[in-house]
Amino acid sequence: MKEPENGEIERAGYDIGKTAHRADAYAKVTGREKYAADYYDGEFLWAGVKRAGVPHAALTGIHAEDARALPGVIAVLTHHDIPGENRIGIIRKNQPVLADTRIRHSGEAVALVLAENRETLKDALNRITLDYEALPGVFSVEEALKETSPRIHEDNPEGNVVKAVAVETGDSAKAFNECDAVVEGVFEVPAQEHAYLETESGWAYQGEDGTYVIVASTQTPFRDCFEIAPVLGIDPAGIRVIAPYLGGAFGGKDGITVQCLLALAVLHSRGRPVKMWWDREESFLAGVKRLSAKMHYRLGAKNDGEFHALECRLYYDGGAYSPLGGEIMTLGAEHAGCAYRIPNVSIKGWCVYTNNPVGGPFRGFGVPQVTAAMEQMVDMAAQRLGIDPLAIRLKNAVRKGDRNCLGVTLTNSTGAVECLEKMSSHPLWKGRAAWKEEAGPFKVRGVGVACMAHAMGYPPMVADEARAKIELTVEGKIRVYAGVVDMGQGNASTYAQIAGYVLGQDASAMELVLPDTARTLPSGSSSASRTTYTYGNALIEAARSLEKAIIKAACERVPGSVAEGFLFLPGKVRHTPTGRELLLEELAAFMDDSARVTTGYFKMPVVREKLDAIYMGPHLIFSYGAHLVYVEVDELTGQVDVARYLAVTDAGRVINPQVFAQQIEGAVAQGMGYALTEDFKVRKGRIVTRDLSTYIIPTSMDIPAIDSVPVEIDEETGPFGLKGAGEIGMSGPLPAIANAVSDACGTRVFRAPMTGEAVYGALIRKKEEGTVL
Amino acid sequence: MTTVYRPGSLDEFWDMREKYGEALVFAGGTDLFVKLRALNKYPPVLIGLAGVKELQSIEELSGAVFIGAHATHTRLLSHPRIREHFPVLASALRSLGSPPIRNMGTIGGNICTASPAGDVLPPLYVLGAQVELRKKDGSRRVPIREFILGPGTTALTDGELLSGVWLKKEDSFTIHHFEKVGQRKALAIAVASLAALVTTTETGIVEKARFAWGSVGPTVVTSQDAEDALVGLPLGLKALQSIVPIVERSVSPIDDVRASAAYRKALAGNLVVRLAGRGREPLRA
Amino acid sequence: MKIGFTLNGKNTFIDVDAARRVIDVLREDLEMTGTKEGCGTGECGACTILVNSESRLACLMVAAQLEGAEVTTIEGIERDGRLHPLQKAFVEHGAIQCGFCTPGMVMASIDLLSRNPEPTQAEIREGISGNLCRCTGYQKIVEAVAAAAAAKEKDGLP
Repeated sequence: MKEPENGEIERAGYDIGKTAHRADAYAKVTGREKYAADYYDGEFLWAGVKRAGVPHAALTGIHAEDARALPGVIAVLTHHDIPGENRIGIIRKNQPVLADTRIRHSGEAVALVLAENRETLKDALNRITLDYEALPGVFSVEEALKETSPRIHEDNPEGNVVKAVAVETGDSAKAFNECDAVVEGVFEVPAQEHAYLETESGWAYQGEDGTYVIVASTQTPFRDCFEIAPVLGIDPAGIRVIAPYLGGAFGGKDGITVQCLLALAVLHSRGRPVKMWWDREESFLAGVKRLSAKMHYRLGAKNDGEFHALECRLYYDGGAYSPLGGEIMTLGAEHAGCAYRIPNVSIKGWCVYTNNPVGGPFRGFGVPQVTAAMEQMVDMAAQRLGIDPLAIRLKNAVRKGDRNCLGVTLTNSTGAVECLEKMSSHPLWKGRAAWKEEAGPFKVRGVGVACMAHAMGYPPMVADEARAKIELTVEGKIRVYAGVVDMGQGNASTYAQIAGYVLGQDASAMELVLPDTARTLPSGSSSASRTTYTYGNALIEAARSLEKAIIKAACERVPGSVAEGFLFLPGKVRHTPTGRELLLEELAAFMDDSARVTTGYFKMPVVREKLDAIYMGPHLIFSYGAHLVYVEVDELTGQVDVARYLAVTDAGRVINPQVFAQQIEGAVAQGMGYALTEDFKVRKGRIVTRDLSTYIIPTSMDIPAIDSVPVEIDEETGPFGLKGAGEIGMSGPLPAIANAVSDACGTRVFRAPMTGEAVYGALIRKKEEGTVL
Repeated sequence: MTTVYRPGSLDEFWDMREKYGEALVFAGGTDLFVKLRALNKYPPVLIGLAGVKELQSIEELSGAVFIGAHATHTRLLSHPRIREHFPVLASALRSLGSPPIRNMGTIGGNICTASPAGDVLPPLYVLGAQVELRKKDGSRRVPIREFILGPGTTALTDGELLSGVWLKKEDSFTIHHFEKVGQRKALAIAVASLAALVTTTETGIVEKARFAWGSVGPTVVTSQDAEDALVGLPLGLKALQSIVPIVERSVSPIDDVRASAAYRKALAGNLVVRLAGRGREPLRA
Repeated sequence: MKIGFTLNGKNTFIDVDAARRVIDVLREDLEMTGTKEGCGTGECGACTILVNSESRLACLMVAAQLEGAEVTTIEGIERDGRLHPLQKAFVEHGAIQCGFCTPGMVMASIDLLSRNPEPTQAEIREGISGNLCRCTGYQKIVEAVAAAAAAKEKDGLP
């Protein structure tokens, strides 16, 4: 960890539940932090990719002669140059590194160029031409599911279906007949672009021992080794992936972006390092997107507001390849009933292949989609029954010990009700009516709420485990080997805080080693709201082992002492009975090298019942949230102004309040973009919103003040009672804003984003038809 | 290889212009460099205007204000003459791009780019701006509406340079109004915009009105009919709604990635209705 | 083309293509990677630097425009090893997550406070509106800028 040299920032000893400044803040605020995009060392080469530009075609020829002839071009590589397997994929190995016979989306990589500089690289890429026979494309879920539509992956036995799942609990067909009110809706949510500020980037070279070293902006360094190695036709041990701090990722760097291409490039770089850095347009073209979805919902309730039956049909567009699309849709299906107790449920979900850009993980995985639909359904049901939207949620929200929609008993901390109750006592909830009254000319105001759940960790079929490693260095520092990537969320800092707290150290005593497959231990991906929970638990174990080892060494130094007599202080331990102090540096010198390094292991607990309720099994532990939003709609333009936002969150105990608030505020802002402006438009497989001037993410003027309030319920299994907080905030803004817009306008926009044009259209339709939903 | 010249005066500029006929001229560079990047091709010669002293001044001359073509948006925004006499322009400038874009971009650049969405254009139309076009051996003044011919095209001829803008002080208008509808509140390209100048009597009757809309046609749209129709009516909801059909007939918007033509057309009318808030009648919106 | 300018207070001479982008001059030629590139089209603000004390986008400037200019980047705002008050406030108020927008955000904030030493919250939001951040939701950045403005210690503001 880089320390402020001037010591002007106050640094108290680490505590739990107390804000500690992030360990990465100093290096980042001074521009010293070196991201994967920041390598320009020595006589390096630039590598870049020729992309297809057509959404669906049979590839018949690649003409690279002109490019190869260009001075400064070192190599032009095609699928012929791949020494190993030309297929990658986490679950389904069906995506070529460089296209061979088929082009399935317009960002498909076809050729790889190595050049002396970026100008030559661009020139060379423009000189490569392709021969292809265009094939009819599949651009929507509806087309994909038609028997007569072209097949995108000919060898897929399920046609264009990536994955289909079904959940049946109770008897929903019968139950709907028992309901007093049934509401229905069809909801559409768009593809969403991550738009991290640091586009995909990496740096690669061959180490002296022959290892291929790839420094990449990746969330998954360990898994990457197993993806890259078969492409090169070598053992994974021959690949080393290093993940420095990422300039944002949000799921978009969960898996392969530049890694395989860089590895391939290094084979032809004549011993020189290789740099690849996608520009914004390439990032938009080739990077994964949040899956767009269409969702048919039917919700039945009794007169008293009790939910009795739910039916959902979920259609997710996975794009041309779907590294985790089936799993994303599955998590959506698991959360289709959100945080409610509904005894009779029929959920069916499909994820399909299309010739649209590749779908992949994005903060919330598949949950923001279904939450957008379900939480609007809840408001529609409340309205139909004449019940307050908060009251109907309180009535139906799951409590500890309840069974959720999959029939899984919630045995762990379950704070949905506590979140809603906290909201109900907040001044923003109490003051909502008065605020609505004060709308100015041509403005109408509305207030909306949403309640969310988000599962933590991988499903039971994939072990969610971490191996922590910690060292007392010979210099007397505590070095944490972070096995999980910090993509900006600050988990590495929290690791330092956790280990520092266990060992009584402050920031000055701590060092961090960021994920490096040669130095840190495999601990899974930076994703799934798991990074601090899983690794943190493993780290506590490792730190406690180190504590014992240090005390053992201390006992040997203080004659007649016992383990209980020692107190850890920054940089030292004190033998309390005698007052004698021993520097950690001093103790380290007397310890065996092996004793100075300890490890810890943790595996997330999983359900023991209902394992077959859904593909890969259901989750056990969830975080919860309740959101409240004030919006003002302009009747002349339809534009929605978000005036205030309250996010109440149950993510267990909070270790670092500042880092916790960062997660909630950031997720809410991304959720607001998803709700109001972000619409990754693709027409006939070609991207329409090709850059940041057409794909509209919020600026500082578009996001209001956000109040973030934690409901700190202890999660027994969590590190110091914590649950994941990274994703839960993402799902709330879209439905909360939709409900607020409906409250303001008396009509609902069923399709996101709720742009000025969309809301204006709804206002006009309402005026013309006189309909109120 | 590209050579970049940065003349310090118009005389130097003319020399370079003559020598390098193929040169591209840039002011703030906020449009040109984006375009060149997209083309991945830089011309052999670029001439930057940042140092040309004659293009920098903002001065008041006998009832008019001259704005040098290289005045940046930020400079204009902080200039007391602009804020005092041309609030409609100041308001448009505040909505343009973002602070660094306003620090770099210039009024001359915004005019010559001639985008239908150029934020300073609607105010310049209602203010009756004249652009000053200079040649080595002379100059002419052209009303802005005659200068801009279509998207990206102007009446600038070979060997001519837009040297500045002349604005007659418009203190007789009691209402200066500008509104831009973008997809977000900053870094936004206008989906539609309206600049309006209105004068009402003590009792709120419209005496004169000027309107100009951005992003609803190939160039800025004006409507004498709409302006005339409003004169003599009390500035209020009813009167403004009555001219909406005229406005809608005047505009010819297109569909693009940002919005549909239909929405733009509706906005053109509705942005006029907003002026009801500036009248004396109580609003029953 | 030979170009001379002042970079973070030091006389600097480079010999590059006159149309080379300033962002490339800084990052690749001078190996000052604190200034980031996020879009190349002036939409994100990650490459914000100060030229003659005003914020500029280094992706929309060419090397020739540097001639004779005073350029300040994120690497040049510490004084005697001490963080600039804005940097200090960013650290303390948690205004940094992934950090990729941070250098540009800090430079934009310096421009803002030099024009308007006591900005309102709304003025701060406007002042940083050319700098996209995808992590923070801006809240803590606004708090940090407000805190820096309120702090007595304003010396060292370039």
